Amino acid sequence: MATETQIDDRRTNGETVLELDGLVKTFGAFAAIDDVSMTVERGEFRSIIGPNGAGKTTLFNLISGALPVTDGTVYFDGEEITKLSPPERVARGIGRSFQISNVFGGLSVRENVRLAAQADRRDGYNLVESFFKPTGRYGDINQETDRILERIDLDHVADEEADALAYGDRRRLEIGVVLATDPELVLFDEPTAGMSVEETQETIELIEEVLVDQTLLLIEHDIELVMELSDRITVLNQGEILAEGTPAQISGNQSVQDAYLGGMVE
Amino acid sequence: MLGTIFQQLLDGITVGIVYVLLAAGLSVIFGVMNVINFAHGELAVLGAYFAVAITIQTGIGGNAFVVALVIAPLLVGVLGVALERYTVQPLYGRNPLYHILLTFGLVLVINDLIYLVWGTGSFRLPRPGVLTGTVGAFGFGVSAYNLFMIVSGGLMALAVWALLEYTRYGLIIRAGSQDRQMVRNLGIEIDRYYSLVFGVGAGLAAFAGIILAGNQQAHPDLGMSIIIPAFVIVVLGGLGSFKGAVVGGLLVGILQESILRPWVPWLEGMVIFVLMIGILLIRPHGLFGTEHAEEGGTERLLAGRTGSLLERETRFKLGLVMIGVLALVPIVAGLLGNLFWVTFGSRVLIWALFALSLDFVMGYTGLVSLGHALFLGLGAYAVVLGLIHVTSSVFVALALAIALSAAIAWIVGFLSIRVAGVYFAMITLAFAELYYNLLYRLEITGGSEGLGLLGQDYYYGLAGIGASLDDIAFFVGPVVLTGHSLFYYVVLGALVASYFVTRRMLQSPFGSVLKSIRENEERATFLGYRTVVYKRRAFVVSGAFAGLAGGLFALNNAFVSPSAAEWLKSGEVIVMVILGGMGTLYGPIIGAGAFFGLEQLLTHYTGRWRLVLGTIFVLFVIFLPRGLVSVPTLLAPYLPGGPGPTSATEQLPEDSSTEGGD
Repeated sequence: MATETQIDDRRTNGETVLELDGLVKTFGAFAAIDDVSMTVERGEFRSIIGPNGAGKTTLFNLISGALPVTDGTVYFDGEEITKLSPPERVARGIGRSFQISNVFGGLSVRENVRLAAQADRRDGYNLVESFFKPTGRYGDINQETDRILERIDLDHVADEEADALAYGDRRRLEIGVVLATDPELVLFDEPTAGMSVEETQETIELIEEVLVDQTLLLIEHDIELVMELSDRITVLNQGEILAEGTPAQISGNQSVQDAYLGGMVE
Repeated sequence: MLGTIFQQLLDGITVGIVYVLLAAGLSVIFGVMNVINFAHGELAVLGAYFAVAITIQTGIGGNAFVVALVIAPLLVGVLGVALERYTVQPLYGRNPLYHILLTFGLVLVINDLIYLVWGTGSFRLPRPGVLTGTVGAFGFGVSAYNLFMIVSGGLMALAVWALLEYTRYGLIIRAGSQDRQMVRNLGIEIDRYYSLVFGVGAGLAAFAGIILAGNQQAHPDLGMSIIIPAFVIVVLGGLGSFKGAVVGGLLVGILQESILRPWVPWLEGMVIFVLMIGILLIRPHGLFGTEHAEEGGTERLLAGRTGSLLERETRFKLGLVMIGVLALVPIVAGLLGNLFWVTFGSRVLIWALFALSLDFVMGYTGLVSLGHALFLGLGAYAVVLGLIHVTSSVFVALALAIALSAAIAWIVGFLSIRVAGVYFAMITLAFAELYYNLLYRLEITGGSEGLGLLGQDYYYGLAGIGASLDDIAFFVGPVVLTGHSLFYYVVLGALVASYFVTRRMLQSPFGSVLKSIRENEERATFLGYRTVVYKRRAFVVSGAFAGLAGGLFALNNAFVSPSAAEWLKSGEVIVMVILGGMGTLYGPIIGAGAFFGLEQLLTHYTGRWRLVLGTIFVLFVIFLPRGLVSVPTLLAPYLPGGPGPTSATEQLPEDSSTEGGD
């Protein structure tokens, strides 16, 4: 299968890119994340699985900065980022992908990608320019935009409104937008929710193809897919890490079987 | 002395109890349905006028008071149910700000209906004999009617409280104001309760209006004057909280009537807005409100989409033609010898500029400012005060107006933009009202009299080079262009320049970020944009243009008064933006034209033209939220040779919830 070969393209070099140290997030008396520590290597494809309510999305929100931590530390590229705002984290290289419908529907495909490319470079321009110089005259941003449009194979529909795109093309656009923010690490929260088996396969292949140089962190329900793609898997349960390891280690882990996989993988 | 204090306290409680009844309905309606009902004050006054009809107009007088007290609220309650069913209901699922727009339209309609039926005079409700005179209480003589207000209002509030606390209906409503979705998940069709809640709220307001009209007087503008304090109370107590409405109502009543009015009258009317702003900043959910799951808050505002019919170049040419036509107005008017169209045109263009400025924040970043008249007023006073005290150059004065409005917009934006949606609307309203009240109090602004420019020498030019418009004359054929006609060109020039500047901004990186915020703010954040900063900048730009409009507004009238900053103006400019179509730069200009064109057309037939305007506006909000500019796109599929229907399908906002529950 195509994905098999692409997994081989991933290179990890043992360098830590993301480190979580004793993360805690409580809502009132409820601990959604309870003392989670983990490290992710550069270039790794890491999946996070766990039953509903395990705290997967909350964990993502702590990494992306959408929610403040109650306790603990987040390191990215060796620097502490626990207190940084979401945009500051994006600037450091933490990209976040959304579900497919979540592009800027009223804007053109090119505009969608350009916004992301522009965000990555905005420091290079002065305020007056950014207020008055038309976007069409920023050569480097537009070059980057065109490069990404080609990469995701949407250059032929660049001037169409994103809402008018076919489903598969919107998915491409979504991933292209993330790529254009020039991320080192990309967080995917159930990118394939609600998709058919085929669509899921295609989406994952696309992610693998386009984001081959990025570190990926994925929340996914399709266990088979996760087992097939991931370098390592982290299993969350009730806000705590239940197990962590290679797909083979995880599928052989008895406590994971009991807590989670037992009912799902027949 | 003690007697005076006691009397003042009693006055405060009397007014407070009216506020409690008003705010309770307003608050519960918001809690359950997320609807901010601007028409609540009008419903109260309508109740009072129904009571007027039952007591005075039947000739029965005070003896029918009790009958009126029962029947009028029932009538208004039924009206409330109908309003909810036929106007509010179609808007559920849209951004909650549309309810503000809708109910503002209802204000215009109901207010003019009252004028139409009962005229401009005021009525004092006749009281039954028992309630006239005074009774002794704690050794003081107290007006029997005031006591009656406190007791009956208190009982009413108690009844509502018991209803909420001890009945199944109440339980569902309370649960609904915490988390509607949860209630639905329990298998309860909470939507069916909406009409009931709205009706009861309307009835309560009517009751409050009636007892108030027996104490003060029923006049058509009473609704406009009580709705704003009622909002303050709802915000203070916490949107959606009944307890908050009770405490807030009494607090504001006592603060206003017992403390400020007798002791520090200078601060009356301002303290409550400072309090409101403070609460919104420190505790947006109010004293007793709880943070409740706000659904629908992420829905997009419906912008009038552009350019799907005409080519870019065609549109540009069309624009030039429009400017050409507008430039001909003074000449044609001169030929016809009717300068009315020149002054009328100036007025329309100034408002078009004002509407354009609002659209820049509302249509492009989704920030609905309910207090944009603040900047109109700032610009207006800056120009007049500037010309009186600082400079005699109109251009310098206008520059002052722009700078001042932009600076205040930065401050207001800095404080307000962190709160979102409905709360932002409320806080901008509070700032505008604060300024409006300040204008009455300050000596330099001339108080309620305002300031005139008559007798002031000023010129159009810089550094002493220039002339008064009346001293310049251009001859175009038989037509002499001077004075008002030249001012028209100044305004047209300002509008065209502003249009091109804003257009240019929207094509810049800054503008494209604004558009992305409108489309999906969360996503923009995760592209790496600090959206708060961009919104604040947009607000400053908007404030600056509104200030320019305000300056021209004052020059046009050669006069300025506090009414330049009244909340009705903020509402009217929103009406224009919606009529034309927000999110397009020419939409608001068309909207301003339609607004005044309608006024012009209708005032020939009736002085109560807002009734028609309000009705049209309500219909627009419900059926044509993308405004006039969306009409060609909607009609296109039905015209021969038009594009297929695909380009015209109304793109309703999709649910953009991304934080999937885990």
